[in-house]
This record gives sequence, structure tokens and C-alpha cells, in this order.
Amino acid sequence: MTLAFLNLSWPVFANGLEFGGIYALMAVGIGLVFGVLRLVNFAYGQLIMAGGFALAYGSQWNLPNWLSILFSFGVVLVLSVAMDRLVFRPLRTHSPAVMLVATFAVAFVLQNIAQLAFGTFGKSAGALASLDAPWDFGGVEIKKIAVIAVATAAVCLVLLQLLLTRTSLGLHMRAASMDFRTAQLLGVRANRVILGAVVISALFAAISAVFLSVEVIQVTSTFGLSDTIFVLAGVVLGGLNRPIPATLGGFSIGFASGILGGTLPANQSQYLPTFLFAAVIVVLLVRPNGLFTRAGGGVVERV
Amino acid sequence: MSEAAPALALDGLSVRYGAVDAVRALSLEVGRGEVVGLIGPNGAGKSSTLHAIMGAAPVVGGDIRLEGRSLLGMRSERVARHGVALVPEGRRIFGELTVEENLRLGLAARRSRPSGDPFAHAYELFPILDEFRRRHAGALSGGQQQQLAIARALVSEPDVLLLDEPSLGLAPKIVDVVFEALAKIRDSGLAVLLVEQRAQRTVAFADRSYVLANGELRLTLAPKDAGDTDRLVAAYLS
Amino acid sequence: MSTLRRLPELLVPALLVLGTTLLGLSVSSYLQAYFLDTLIKVAIVVALYVFIGNSGVLSFGHVSFVALGAWTAGVLTVPADQKGAIMPGLAHFLLHTNVGNVASLAVAAAVGAVAAFAVGLPLMRLSGLAAGIATFAVLEITNNLLTYDQSIGPGENAFSSVPQTTGMWQAAIGALLCVAVAFVYRSSRFGRMLRATREDPAAAAATGISIYRQRLLAFVISGGLAGFAGGMYVHLLPLQAAGLHLDLTFITLAMLIVGGSGSLLGAVAGALAVSGLYSFFSAATNGVDVLGWNLTVPQGTAEIVLGVLMAFVLIVRPAGLTGGRELSLPRRDVRVEAEP
Repeated sequence: MTLAFLNLSWPVFANGLEFGGIYALMAVGIGLVFGVLRLVNFAYGQLIMAGGFALAYGSQWNLPNWLSILFSFGVVLVLSVAMDRLVFRPLRTHSPAVMLVATFAVAFVLQNIAQLAFGTFGKSAGALASLDAPWDFGGVEIKKIAVIAVATAAVCLVLLQLLLTRTSLGLHMRAASMDFRTAQLLGVRANRVILGAVVISALFAAISAVFLSVEVIQVTSTFGLSDTIFVLAGVVLGGLNRPIPATLGGFSIGFASGILGGTLPANQSQYLPTFLFAAVIVVLLVRPNGLFTRAGGGVVERV
Repeated sequence: MSEAAPALALDGLSVRYGAVDAVRALSLEVGRGEVVGLIGPNGAGKSSTLHAIMGAAPVVGGDIRLEGRSLLGMRSERVARHGVALVPEGRRIFGELTVEENLRLGLAARRSRPSGDPFAHAYELFPILDEFRRRHAGALSGGQQQQLAIARALVSEPDVLLLDEPSLGLAPKIVDVVFEALAKIRDSGLAVLLVEQRAQRTVAFADRSYVLANGELRLTLAPKDAGDTDRLVAAYLS
Repeated sequence: MSTLRRLPELLVPALLVLGTTLLGLSVSSYLQAYFLDTLIKVAIVVALYVFIGNSGVLSFGHVSFVALGAWTAGVLTVPADQKGAIMPGLAHFLLHTNVGNVASLAVAAAVGAVAAFAVGLPLMRLSGLAAGIATFAVLEITNNLLTYDQSIGPGENAFSSVPQTTGMWQAAIGALLCVAVAFVYRSSRFGRMLRATREDPAAAAATGISIYRQRLLAFVISGGLAGFAGGMYVHLLPLQAAGLHLDLTFITLAMLIVGGSGSLLGAVAGALAVSGLYSFFSAATNGVDVLGWNLTVPQGTAEIVLGVLMAFVLIVRPAGLTGGRELSLPRRDVRVEAEP
């Protein structure tokens, strides 16, 4: 069966949804931290990479899948908190641009440590590969991982929304991302809010790593890197400091690349990054204030 | 009045931003159930004083004491959780959150578990907020937002309430509402430090008012001095 | 300000470069490769300094201009008889045009400057984080185009058969040229005006300085220098698009930050010191003799050391070794209260 008007087949459509879901999760992870910390974490990709390697170790030690995943969650969480404490916290009073450079440094270091430890060949995280096999839906074959990824992403996003709107931590996080100074004056605990954002963002990175490893299997030092760069672009396009548009931005990029990757011939799809980043530049020029100011003393971005 | 330490005491407080002395050796006290006014021209250091109390300004000398206990060096969130609430200049309400969510934020600094409806008192004081519970705070008028800002501060059940120019930009009728609320707040036993531009009204309302000019305390006024405009002007311009 | 007093600002960096060159000439040819690479890096970092150091605005995109310069110089100097075979998809004009090696450097600089102008026209209005992301986007676009467009260069393949004319003296002269241009610019009225906008944008604008125009000027000059450096680079090594991307961006940025982004001396000293460190650890992957000990480190140690050093400098001494000015715009984001 084909979605004739788009010339799309169901498997390709499902692929689009799958990547849309994964990228949406990554977008939320990046967006949450930016909202609360004003930090664009370029090293987010390395968190995913670490998750991937943890899964690979789980595979190697023949751990049951659920334990592998749990282990991977733990690794990403610890690394994420360490990044925040060691590098980002001391730099909190600096401008977002300097913090971006710092995350760049962290990314560089982590990537090379992985290169050093695992070489160019990397490590195999094959345990979940079985999920790459398709389910049969009345004649249409859709990959198991696509369904699981979309379902999980949806559930995670709903849970996050509930957290943000129904709990006081969520309320504090939202307030902090709107006006950190005033939130503090009201007694909102800065460290708790920041830890909350870092932990949730790490969890989402870990989940993304699990899904990405199903397709990629061989985890190398660049695992998650190009995905992160695309998601970053998507988030900027969507709106860096507004959670819902940011998520939509991430989803759109994922969806588009999932679909286009399957439909466009290589010599047309290889220039997609150019169009994507050109769009990013246009957005930054046309709506800079929408992306970067907030109440209580934003940094004026335009000259 | 007992011999216990006053609710809030500033002892030779000095605040400096870079090379600029915003506040010089300011000493004053606010007791429970008192409203103390802090007036003066623009740039006199009134806001800086409030920010210093909240741990949000660089203090270079003196002390800030809450019931005898020094607040120096504490971060804003801790100061708030010790029972000092600030109603910031410009209100600083969260426009994208609902009125009720804004009030819920005020619970962050609360020291005791709320029994019953923690917002009951706030809604009683400012009935308009009850009506607009679920509205986005950004849709409220300036006067309503000011009421929200005060209510938000009260929700945390503070011992000390600091207000930074609450009447700024408000129509006279709304200013009346605000001052009426302040009277009730005074009656409930809070210590209130009120920074204002409207000198006369403040002097008439407060138990006593201090005139700050150029970071220094110039004059102390009692309510009966409210009509003495010459003295006021002289103090402002000195 | 008399020129005589200013001279040390030019002479010290220049002497550092010369010293490095002389040292490089006295070592084995195996080690010379590191010195040559260092001198090119000096040129790139000086180009970075011209813009970032004077404007206080971060640019992640300068390696684009290095790449464009490299592509230009390379394509124009690969021997005509081999061009068609090596780069079959090459556009007609490029296929049949060749210039001398020195001329190719000039063209590379011109291309870098023009590209910087085109990019700078829209982008120079941006500051801070927006500028960082936008210039990063430029880097990605350039890398994407150069990797896949076979009509302007070798695509993702390495640039082969480019005459390897960048010897020690050529690299030294090139680096010194960049230092000289940077010095002339920073001492000029324009350089001073741009630095004024870095210190206090509002005051500068109030005195009639056009922040946009001064930034654009610096961006164009630095683009030209970067293109020139790229031209030298391609005459040294068979470059690849992948090698002119994130890693090079990070390394050169790290050199500038560690040295101190606010001063020319910082750029030069940072490039020399960091490059030295980096080269040392790179060479150590094959074993080096340190005071009688043999030190062998695994592949990738150099990058890790560099990254950690950069993070360390950012945290502990953001003004860098030379204590120039800070990288960030003077208005700090006062969002989280300072720890007591």
C-alpha cells in the first residue's frame, strides 16, 4: 500500500516517524538544558555516544537487554552530571557563547577519549539488533524499532509534559527558564532545577542512544554526532527557548531526514545539510529576539 | 515592643557596583507590624538596598540582620526561604503561567506545610485574582499584576515583606487598592519595607519613612510630616 | 600614540615566529613537518584573532574560508595535464585555468575575503550565541558543498598533486605577513573602533561607530587571511574536506583562547605553544625521548590534552595565557547569582 499522493511507502513513512520521534526526544533534551541553563550543549552527542558504548559493553558481557539499557542510563546520567559540575557550573556567569565553546571542548575531549579507547572500529552493540526486523501488519512490513521508538517517544513526551505542568519541580523549571533571577528571588532552588533539567536531558539522551544503536549497531566515537548537529539545527529552527516548538523542530528534522533518506537518490539528498543550515541562518536573522531573549535581562543579540 | 531583635535591621550597609557606591553605610530597622517607607529620588539606592537584602547586590560593608541573624552572603533563594519576600520592581510576574501557577511559585519559599488552601488568604486580600485564577498572568492589567506580585510574596508566609515601587505606573484607584492591602498586611504582623517614589503618600501611610539620596540616609520623617513639602524637596535635592 | 612605542606589539610576535622557524630549520626533516604545520596554524589563528579578538564575537566559521582558500589555490595549481584525471568533474573554467604558486595564494586570499564579505553582510548583525550558531551553520554548509561538489574540487578525496611549495621559509613569510596585516589592522583607527564596540557597545554606538561596518571589515580581512593560510596549507599537505571541518575549527579556536583572544601576541603565542604541545603528543604516539625516558602515548592523546587545556583555561583564566581581553562580550549574563 502506498501513500500515493506523497509517493511514500509505509515503511519509509514509519522510518520518518521513527527518526522524528528519536530526534524529538533529543530536541527536548537539548531544549530543556538550554531553557534552564542558557547552555547549548554541543556535547550532547557525546552523551549519546557514551550511552551507545555502554550498550556495547552490555552486549559484550551478555547482559540481558533490560540490564544493558539500565546500565547505559546510569552511564549517561553520571557523565551528564559530571559535565555539569566540572565544566558548566564554573562557567555559569559567562556568556552563552563562551559556554558553547566550552561544550565544544568537552565534546572534543570525549570524542577523542572514545577514539583512543575504542579505535576507529568502535564496539558492537548488537544485542538489540533484532528490533530492526519488521513486523507484519497485514502485508505491510514495518520495522519493530520504528513502532517502539515512536511509542516510547510519545509516552516520554507526555510524561514530561505532566511533570512540567503538574509537579512543583516542573513548575520551578518552567519559571526558571522564563526568568531565572526572579524565580530565585521567590525561593526556587537553583541547583534542584538545574539538576532536574540535566537528569531528564540525560535520560532522553540515553533513550535516544538505545534507539539509534538498533540501526547503527557499530558504535564509534562519532556515534550520535551528526544526529546531534541536525537536531541542534532543528531546535534552532523551531525555537530554542520554547519547549514545544523546539520539540517540533527536532521532530521535523528527524521526520524529513527519515523520509528523504529513503526516497531521494543520493546525489540529491547529500546537499540536505546545506539547505538545513541555510534555513538556520535565515531564522537567526529574521527572528533572533524570538529565540534568545527572555524576561528579566536577556542578552540583546542584534546590533 | 519587646527587646527582641527587630524583624529586619540594616547596620551600616554599603553596596558598591564596580566603581559606583550605590548605598553608603545605611542603618535602619523595621519591626513587626510596622510599615517603614524608603523614599528618595531616582538612583538614590533604594532598589539596591532591597536587592542587597535579598542577596542580589554586591555588599561591601555592614550587615543585614533578620531577627538578629545575619543574612550576609546568602543566596537569594536562601534569603527567601528564611522568610523575606520581595515584590520586585516592575512586578516580574510570569506572564506565560496562569495566576494560580504564579501563586504556586510563591510556595517555594514557604517554611511550613500549608494546611488547607494556601491561597485562601491571598484571594481574600485580592478577590480579583480569585476570579482570574486560570488566566495567563500576562493577560492581566498592570494593577492586577501588581496585586498578583504582592499575593505571590504573601503566599510564602514571610516575616518580612519588601516592596519595590509597587505603585509605579498604576492608576490612582489601583494605588488605593494596593495601599489598602498593605494596611491589612501591616495589621497581620508582618514587617514591611516599602520603597516608593510617591513620597507624600508613603510618608502619610508608613509608621516612619527614611529619605535616601545618593546612597545615604538624609532624613527620617513621621506621618505628620507628609504635608511638609519643603522639607521633602530639600531632602531630595541635598 | 607614536609608532615607535607600538613596535614591540609587532616585533615580539614576529620574533616568536622567526624563532620558531629557525628552530624548525635546525631539526630533522621528520620533525620539520610539525614546525611547518605550526606556522600554518599561526596564520590561521592570527586570522581568527583579527575578527574574534577585536570584535569579541565568536566565529565558528573561519575554517570555511581556510577551506575555500585551499580549494582555490589547489585547483588553480594542480598541473594542467593531471587535472582532468584527478578531478574529472571539474568545471570547465577551473579545468583550464592555472596560475603560479605565489599567485594562487593571492587568489586564495581574495576568495577568502570575498566569501567573508558575502557571509558577513547578513551575519554581522548578530552577536553572542546567535553569531556562534550562525557561523557554525556556515561551516557546515561549506563543508557540505566542498565534500560533494566535484565541479569545484576533489570532493571528499584528498587534494593530490598540488605542488608542495610551502617550505619552511615560505610558511614563515606567510605567517609573518599575516601577523603584519593583523598588526596594521589592530593599530589602525578601524581596529580601535571595533575594540571600542567590544568594550561598551552602547557607548561606541553613541559616538557614531557603526558596529556592523567595523565588524564586517574585520571579518573580511580575517577571511582573506584565512584564505591565504588555506592556500599555504594546500601547498603543504594533500588536504581533505574532512580535515577542514570541526577538528580544525576546534584546534584553532583552542589555540586562540589559550593564548588569549584579546591580543595579537596571545594569538601567536597561543598558536605556537599549543601547537608545540599538540605536536609533542602527536609525535609521542611513535615514541619520543624526554630527558632520557621514552614516552609513548596512544593515538588521540594530543587532542584530549588540548581539549582539557582549553576547558581549563576557560574556567580558570578565560583571558588566556597572555591575559588579553575575555572572549565574551563584557556584558556578562547575570542569570545565576554568584556563589558567596
